[in-house]
Amino acid sequence: MYCIETKQLSFKYSGGAPVLQGIDLQVPEGCIYGFLGPNGAGKTTTLRLLLGLLKKQEGAMLLFGKEFERNRIEILQKTGSLIEAPSLYSHLTARENLDIMRYLYDFPPKRIDAVLDLAGLGNVGSKTVGKFSLGMKQRLSIAIALLHQPELLILDEPTNGLDPNGIIEMRELLKALNKEYKTTILISSHLLSEIEKLVTHIGIINKGQLLFQGTLEDLQRKQKQGASTIFHTGDAGSTMRILQENGLQPVLADGMVLIPLVDRSVIAGINQQLVAEGVVVFEISSGRNDLESIFIDLVNN
Amino acid sequence: MQFINSLRGEWLKTRRSAASWLCLIGGFLLPLLYFIGALKDHNTLNSLPVNSEIWKVYFFQIWRFMAVVMLPMGLILSSSLMTQLEFRNNTWKQVLTTPQSIGTIYLAKLSAILLMTLKFFIFFNIGMLAAAIIPSLIFDHQLPRDSFPYSFYLVNNLKILLTCMPVIAIQYLISLRFKNFLVPIGAGLMFWLVSVILVNTWKYAYVSPYSYTPMIGLNTKLPAGINILILSGVYSAVFFAAGFFVFRAKREVS
Ligand SMILES: Nc1ncnc2c1ncn2[C@@H]1O[C@H](COP(=O)(O)OP(=O)(O)OP(=O)(O)O)[C@@H](O)[C@H]1O
Ligand SMILES: [Mg+2]
Repeated sequence: MYCIETKQLSFKYSGGAPVLQGIDLQVPEGCIYGFLGPNGAGKTTTLRLLLGLLKKQEGAMLLFGKEFERNRIEILQKTGSLIEAPSLYSHLTARENLDIMRYLYDFPPKRIDAVLDLAGLGNVGSKTVGKFSLGMKQRLSIAIALLHQPELLILDEPTNGLDPNGIIEMRELLKALNKEYKTTILISSHLLSEIEKLVTHIGIINKGQLLFQGTLEDLQRKQKQGASTIFHTGDAGSTMRILQENGLQPVLADGMVLIPLVDRSVIAGINQQLVAEGVVVFEISSGRNDLESIFIDLVNN
Repeated sequence: MQFINSLRGEWLKTRRSAASWLCLIGGFLLPLLYFIGALKDHNTLNSLPVNSEIWKVYFFQIWRFMAVVMLPMGLILSSSLMTQLEFRNNTWKQVLTTPQSIGTIYLAKLSAILLMTLKFFIFFNIGMLAAAIIPSLIFDHQLPRDSFPYSFYLVNNLKILLTCMPVIAIQYLISLRFKNFLVPIGAGLMFWLVSVILVNTWKYAYVSPYSYTPMIGLNTKLPAGINILILSGVYSAVFFAAGFFVFRAKREVS
């Protein structure tokens, strides 16, 4: 079952161009879903729609298998969120900010200590939030999102403003929540490298369109297919022949010869052969090894 | 139950807030000035140039400036400030993703504003009585011989409170609608100023709800058949309802 499912979700701000075009988001229950895209891709807009902060215009939106609009309160009861800039009362302390939420969800005061510890804010004392650093505010926002032990967490660039240590702590915290409580997590980011180690599923959005959706392995497989080893030599013809003799399928492009990505030992063998036959080798490169480049490829095409 | 929880949260948000300070200062400033004046001139309540119903005369004397100027301004500022809190802290999105109906959110904040108004009334009455009684004790004077008119104080406080409602309703509506907090403050002050100017010069001044509190303070004669208490009730009901629809339509401002 999908925890979040959208069907042909489209949206435009009043008087503007379409910002989302037919988004079919599928976030399986219990997964950590990385929602990736460059600035202005439509990530925040999508997440705001999912939380009812924007009015749905076109398409369908199911959370926990239920139509959002008709089950808003029930769905929000099970959802924790953090959207963009911290949403905190700056004249109140961390504890008072949490109290406001605690009243609403009817939790005992003890729960506040628990989430403050979880978010690494164990000893903030009585400072008002206005005097917090950006990272501390972000941590408090996370504490608030976790307060009512939600089944679903929707986090929009939660690592914004966190130091490297904070980013790692956050990653560990989310992993632990997912493992222990089966919390489904939808997390947006514009850096694949940042969430690569965290997520199980990935959706890539650009200019309001979903370019890819699947598991992390799906993406890696796609990336392997796209990757190639490039030979830049003085004699492309001989290079083609030698590669064919080795049972590979070379292609000629811009005077360079490309083959699907192969093992390093194979490359070394071919290099020796080329040199032995008197072909000048300028460069052999195996490009696009990281997921980041496939992300950039997808976004640029 | 959900409403009570929500209201508790709204009330907590007023802690250390500008509206709270305003309520405290607004409630005690005038009594304090009165008290200082009494100390300076060695006056007490019995020095008032009347010999009967001193408590009633005192009530209107101290309420006048409050009802005409300070209270309307306080209402305009506090309802705008308490709503502005959510815009300034970027917290509408937090509030709107909590599991409560839009109606509960609207009512809880409105109730907090009303509670703040009530708090002001309590402060002001305490201050008013203290400013009358303490000088008498200090100078060893007697308090007025006539017994304290409890029901008069209660009824007139309630009347003034009721005339505050339409102003709160309109200010709340404008504050919810506009992110820029100068809009509700500016509009409110303008409505108030025009109303006060017209109170004693235009016979239809009663059409503006901003003139009701000043009318009570100035004891304005009203045309026959016009009851500003009933008008207050009607205006409040209309604007409280209108405010809700504005809020529901506009909730994507966040
Ligand atoms: N309130 C708004 N009114 C009009 N257009 C908007 C509004 N908010 C966002 N947009 C437009 O919608 C598009 C998508 O914006 P969105 O905030 O969803 O992007 P994003 O993927 O979250 O980007 P980022 O990584 O910068 O946070 C952008 O082109 C933006 O200009
Ligand atoms: Mg964004």
